[in-house]
Amino acid sequence: MGLSAILFVASILLSSFALSCYASGTFSALEKSLLVTSSPKAGHVLKAGEANITVTWSFNKTFQAGTDSTYKTVKVKLCYAPISQEDRAWRKTKDELKKDRTCQHKIVSRPYSPSTNTFTWTIERDIPSATYFVRAYVFDAEDKEVAYGQATDAAKKSHLFEVEAITGRHASLDVASVCFSVFAIVSLAGFFYLEKRKAGSSMQK
Amino acid sequence: MGDIEGSPGSSMHGVTGREPVLAFSVASPIVLTDPTAKFDLPVDSEHKAKVFKLFSFANPHMRTFHLSWISFFTCFVSTFAAAPLVPIIRDNLNLTKGDVGNAGVASVSGSIFSRLVMGAVCDLLGPRYGCAFVIMLTAPTVFCMSFVADASGYIAVRFMIGFSLATFVTCQYWMSTMFNGKIIGTVNGTAAGWGNMGGGATQLIMPLLYDLIQRFGATPFTAWRIAFFIPGWLHVIMGILVLTLGQDLPDGNLGALQKKGDVSKDKFSKVFWYAVTNYRTWIFVLLYGYSMGVELSTDNVIAEYFFDRFDLKLQTAGIIAATFGMANLLARPFGGYASDVAAQRFGMRGRLWTLWILQTLGGVFCILLGRSNSLPIAVTMMIIFSVGAQAACGATFGIIPFISRRSLGIISGMTGAGGNFGSGLTQLLFFTSSQISTAMGLTYMGIMIVACTMPVTLVHFPQWGSMFLPPSRDVVKGSEEHYYVSEWTEDEKQQGMHQGSVKFAENSRSERGRRVASAPTPPYATPNHA
Repeated sequence: MGLSAILFVASILLSSFALSCYASGTFSALEKSLLVTSSPKAGHVLKAGEANITVTWSFNKTFQAGTDSTYKTVKVKLCYAPISQEDRAWRKTKDELKKDRTCQHKIVSRPYSPSTNTFTWTIERDIPSATYFVRAYVFDAEDKEVAYGQATDAAKKSHLFEVEAITGRHASLDVASVCFSVFAIVSLAGFFYLEKRKAGSSMQK
Repeated sequence: MGDIEGSPGSSMHGVTGREPVLAFSVASPIVLTDPTAKFDLPVDSEHKAKVFKLFSFANPHMRTFHLSWISFFTCFVSTFAAAPLVPIIRDNLNLTKGDVGNAGVASVSGSIFSRLVMGAVCDLLGPRYGCAFVIMLTAPTVFCMSFVADASGYIAVRFMIGFSLATFVTCQYWMSTMFNGKIIGTVNGTAAGWGNMGGGATQLIMPLLYDLIQRFGATPFTAWRIAFFIPGWLHVIMGILVLTLGQDLPDGNLGALQKKGDVSKDKFSKVFWYAVTNYRTWIFVLLYGYSMGVELSTDNVIAEYFFDRFDLKLQTAGIIAATFGMANLLARPFGGYASDVAAQRFGMRGRLWTLWILQTLGGVFCILLGRSNSLPIAVTMMIIFSVGAQAACGATFGIIPFISRRSLGIISGMTGAGGNFGSGLTQLLFFTSSQISTAMGLTYMGIMIVACTMPVTLVHFPQWGSMFLPPSRDVVKGSEEHYYVSEWTEDEKQQGMHQGSVKFAENSRSERGRRVASAPTPPYATPNHA
């Protein structure tokens, strides 16, 4: 009786720990303790593969000293603005961080330091055409998110910029495509014509 | 050697409805072998093979089989090639969910029309040129993917590639010129099932190709375009093989042979009329839309679904999606087989119940797939769903040959078109709007499957009954002859055009199940093809 009571209490405690772990895996539980700015002016259109983005981040000194004692790494990411999330459930914002798909492209990962950090990034060629903002997540030693900062406001309306992706098309691909298509049609027509001629000449015989 | 006794064997002869109906009526259940013919396989008097030797490539029969099913397989590969790459394509072309859904609808809609036209083409040019024309003329559409720059281009190209699914008709037609009626069911079922596997194989092939091409240095937005060249080349290669190695008939090609003129051709308008005025035709058009149709829809959405919902890599999602389509290897033949086994004991009622059970089971597991939150459960539900839906396809064609003898071709064609139409409708309703998540879409699709399978309870044959009602007690109305001969007018009967139907009626007595004491083995028994 005593043993089962202990096991029961232990399982309640364990599950409550698990629940609390779960609750802390949300975006709303994160401290907004980083100040982040990004270089593109609002509404700017940048070309993937060519244009640069310069990101700066630092610890927001208005927070109590010691808040950043657990901060270990900073990952800066490129995140979709609400307009680019419309009708695209694969980019949806969710509070639970494991399920959140807002920030899909990593810019840089650096060890945490409270002073001003800067990084200039050339927009990679696999970034799709969309409207973006920059956000930095801070991770602790267990690689769990503990804080963040973003270059836009809470409603994600300011300091947004656009990226124009590469098309992925190449002149050489287009030419190859036309060549093979022509080959297909010509060989079909050729066979047809040759066989009709053979049938015609054999009937004449 | 030896005939495959008691196994599926109904002729798809007349798949277009334009073929001479009386061209070959098997005089007796025993088909005599032509001793003068010099072929690798034993043949009947028309030089159609009586034996199905799966691993032979002997000219012309088995070679035709392999050319035919591989061509059909290739077209399935190219039609669904975009599906596993959608996570990349949607970023490259800035697609919304609506665009992705509309492209899926477009990919299955084109072939509704092309399959109907292909029947006439086969009649005029022969199945060899029918197949070669479709596969070579759609090759440029596959290569066109390299040009696509936005949603409208993407939708247009997928629509055009979808035309290639007309090879289903050439495949079935070509088989029926090469194989005897006793085994045509097995042959056609195997050919169609293995062709359909292309929809599964492509989910494996395309992500692998994409990954390989990326390793060679291409960026993602270029790599997927290059990957499309492979299905394009397959089209061209198969087209050339069909033209050089194939032949229309066992004795040669259509153009070189003289057509025999001593068979009476049926009138298209009559055949069409008896097809559309038979209510059972329409029930099966609806039903096939919710067995074959959901299979096509799922081919289009399942890889993206697993990629997004369970955060899998593209290749992993592709492997899971592939198992759905590859189940066709066995599931479809199984459905036909189950229908045959049920018919031996319970006759047509057994076939109807088998179809209802398999298709409803598929629907239930589709609902469960949509509601599964963990990966292993979702995969399990998906596999059972695939077996249910594909076996239902096989079971459907266990019943179709009995709906009408005169209009078998058109009814089969309409049913096939119904499959594509159901697919387009389902994708439009449940997988295009942003209001419905893909998971909910799958659940709704499952509910619709269960609902749209209910009409099979209404299918009633006066001579055999239905799922719940017994056959008619009337001596005349309750006979098979009455049902099949009623498709002919008095004038036509006077000309003796109905003889084939009479023979068919005799042989169809097996559908009474165990009530038949001594029915001869029917030459037109149950096909498990699609």
